[in-house]
Amino acid sequence: MKNTMRNPLIIMIITFFPIIFLSFTHKNKTIQTSKAADVNYIIPNDIQEIINNSCYGCHNNDSKSIKSKMKLNFDKLSTMKIGKRVGKLNKIHDVIEENEMPPKKFLKKYPEKSLSDEDGEKLASWAINMASQYINE
Amino acid sequence: MIKNLSILLFICLIILQFFGPSLPEVSNINPNDLIDNNPEIPEDIKTTLQVSCYDCHSNETKYPWYSSIAPVSFLVVRDINHARDELNFSNWEDMSKLDKASALDDISDVIIDNEMPMAIYTAMHRGTSLSNNQKESLVLWAEEFSDHMFD
Repeated sequence: MKNTMRNPLIIMIITFFPIIFLSFTHKNKTIQTSKAADVNYIIPNDIQEIINNSCYGCHNNDSKSIKSKMKLNFDKLSTMKIGKRVGKLNKIHDVIEENEMPPKKFLKKYPEKSLSDEDGEKLASWAINMASQYINE
Repeated sequence: MIKNLSILLFICLIILQFFGPSLPEVSNINPNDLIDNNPEIPEDIKTTLQVSCYDCHSNETKYPWYSSIAPVSFLVVRDINHARDELNFSNWEDMSKLDKASALDDISDVIIDNEMPMAIYTAMHRGTSLSNNQKESLVLWAEEFSDHMFD
């Protein structure tokens, strides 16, 4: 009696297991696609700190330098249209890699604002990763 | 005295002609050209780009007669090489999507900031300066065209 009760249970588990397994894989897939479509623009704390120290002083809403503000305004980056945002993020990567920013003249006056190699690398790779996530290919 | 000086100057100018750098090459067939590969670009934008930008920012430069005369040629060679280095519409399709987005953003920036077309260029080439309407449509187009790449 015990054995006959056990068998249907085993059969049930054997048949249901693949179904349950499949349903999970399907769920995982939908989660992945919705993530890919709904991309996030995130600034992690360590990156925010680097930006605050070396970039934000000129590249913000209230900046006195109209040119710096026009070229890049971190206060607007999150609300920008995607094309523009990608363009700006890619440029952040490029100017850091080329050592063009922060400007040398500015650093002479404010040496504490300089980017260490490690921080520059972090910021540049954050920017290029953020920009690349929008490419659907 | 003045006569002698002008003769000397004239001789110098003649000699200078033999030492000028050669003008950047012109090619009217460019398989990676922006306009040729993107027929959806509105006609007015195509015209604006061709009239006011393509002379320096493409391989389709139309040199005026005086551009090969030194010392003007020195300036022309320097400016065109620099312009093509910054952005060459003839090589558009060679660029990555990210670089295209940055270039389109640069276009907006330099137009809004009145940096481009350069004042010396519009002074020497009639009809190349941009009206406010043209500037506005070019900036809007650049933003839309860039967005469209990431749809």
